[in-house]
Amino acid sequence: MNVRAPHSNNVVVQSLTQIGLCGLFLLTLLASVPRSFRYACETLRQLWFVGAMSLAIIMVCGLFIGMVLMLQLYNVLSIFGSTSASGMVVALAVYRELGPVVTALLFAGRAGTSITAEIGLMRATDQIDAMEMMAVDPIAYVATPRFLAGLIAMPLLCCVFCAMAIFGGHLVGVTWLGIDNGTFWSNMTAVVVVHTDIVNGVLFKSLVFGAVVSLIAVFQGFTTPPTSEGVAYATTRTVVASSIAILALDFVLTAFLM
Amino acid sequence: MSQPRSSYAVGTGLFIVLGFAALAYLATQTSSVANVHQGASYTVDAHFANIGQLKERAPVKIAGVRVGQVQSITLQPGQEVADVKLAIDKSYDKIPLDSVATIFTSGLLGDQYIGIQYGSSKKAVADGGTLALTKPAQQLEEMIGKFFGAGGTADNLGGTYAVKANFTNVGTLSVGAPVKMAGVPIGSVQSVVADPVKLDAEVTLAIDKRYNAIPDDSSAAVFTSGLIGSQYVAIQPGGSPDALKNGDEMVLTQSAMQLEDLIGKFLVNGSPSDKKDAGDGKSSDTPAPTGKH
Repeated sequence: MNVRAPHSNNVVVQSLTQIGLCGLFLLTLLASVPRSFRYACETLRQLWFVGAMSLAIIMVCGLFIGMVLMLQLYNVLSIFGSTSASGMVVALAVYRELGPVVTALLFAGRAGTSITAEIGLMRATDQIDAMEMMAVDPIAYVATPRFLAGLIAMPLLCCVFCAMAIFGGHLVGVTWLGIDNGTFWSNMTAVVVVHTDIVNGVLFKSLVFGAVVSLIAVFQGFTTPPTSEGVAYATTRTVVASSIAILALDFVLTAFLM
Repeated sequence: MSQPRSSYAVGTGLFIVLGFAALAYLATQTSSVANVHQGASYTVDAHFANIGQLKERAPVKIAGVRVGQVQSITLQPGQEVADVKLAIDKSYDKIPLDSVATIFTSGLLGDQYIGIQYGSSKKAVADGGTLALTKPAQQLEEMIGKFFGAGGTADNLGGTYAVKANFTNVGTLSVGAPVKMAGVPIGSVQSVVADPVKLDAEVTLAIDKRYNAIPDDSSAAVFTSGLIGSQYVAIQPGGSPDALKNGDEMVLTQSAMQLEDLIGKFLVNGSPSDKKDAGDGKSSDTPAPTGKH
């Protein structure tokens, strides 16, 4: 399986080619899912790498997002004398938008880049070709486990992020700024709905973002030119393309889910 | 080889458990699931003339304590009545049958909820029963209208007859403003047009036919309800034995008081007197012109 972008100087043609190849690559990935089950240990190892190893950064960022959001909202809402609503606004903002989007951006930076760099180096050092020589399907052994790991890890990471953001908001709002603990929780539970906010917001969005980010990362790794410069460019493209895809898809998904 | 793999497995397992724990926390502690009562609930109907902004899952409170939630809101078929089903916790099963269900608003801009005030009946409302006594949601507009006294207009069920009145100044009187006698709405303003010949405002009042014995020397005045309320036409009955008929003109009128005029008079104390219309002397209870201060 050799996926290489044909050369063209036109940026539009290049981007369209990339998108088209990426789509084809996704089909190949999905087709190889049954075959990759025999490499379940590899999937587990990738899950540990992209998921468990990302926990620290996700938790710290979630905590600070929740804290700063609460601080800002408290200042604005105190103008209207409705600071007790700030916990609820933090929850809604984090569940519906900030949680999935920021987690996906962090995930692209933390896990996506290393997936691209790893596969790119495998390609540059002919390890992929060697696997093919040994009759090991590189898609099923290298690409699909990473894709699946990203797909599973993102919703879990997003849940952890949201929980930490709520904790951060509680820390600033209740412990520091003195919002009543009871109103903080009761206002939140009065408006947050499991289906629209947690299933559609947190889980569904982060699942889609996880699929997109890991697809782009694996695809960029597989199509990188086998040079050190090529690997560097591919890593950059992973971050850029993932970020654009996340933010654009976020709008589309929100419009559909509303 | 098996050593690193098992450490991956433990780490990954911990990660997955942590992720699901976070999900369970979000779903059960920070969402509406946290408000679901553990115990079973029973359903009680309440019919409201107006539910305002009440939504499903809005709380039901007794003495401010949450005892249940609004299960469904439907319109009674064929009637202009909202049927609200309340799911109340089984442990609060001694609500008197003659309790009053009222739609309250939490704070000035908050969400609406249903408050139940206990009656004195010995019988408790049962599952599937109905709370007959309800108070609909208070609409802010209605409250303000009541407060300023200009909110209601006559229902005009019995048909109306038209009476004309000319004013030198109608202020901000608009079509549809109430016409009142003794403070009670008896009709509404049908049209306000400028008379091209007399160069004043010709106001047509549509008065309910039930009030057909208004003396024809009654006076009409444009009043303001409250300080900043809307304007209305007040009719002060005269003493004539003949009644106003359709198409008649009221001769005695008093124009709207302009706040600027009043303040000007107050400050300059008795300078240019108001341009009185014919026979203004009758209206004794109008805001007194200055000169007395």
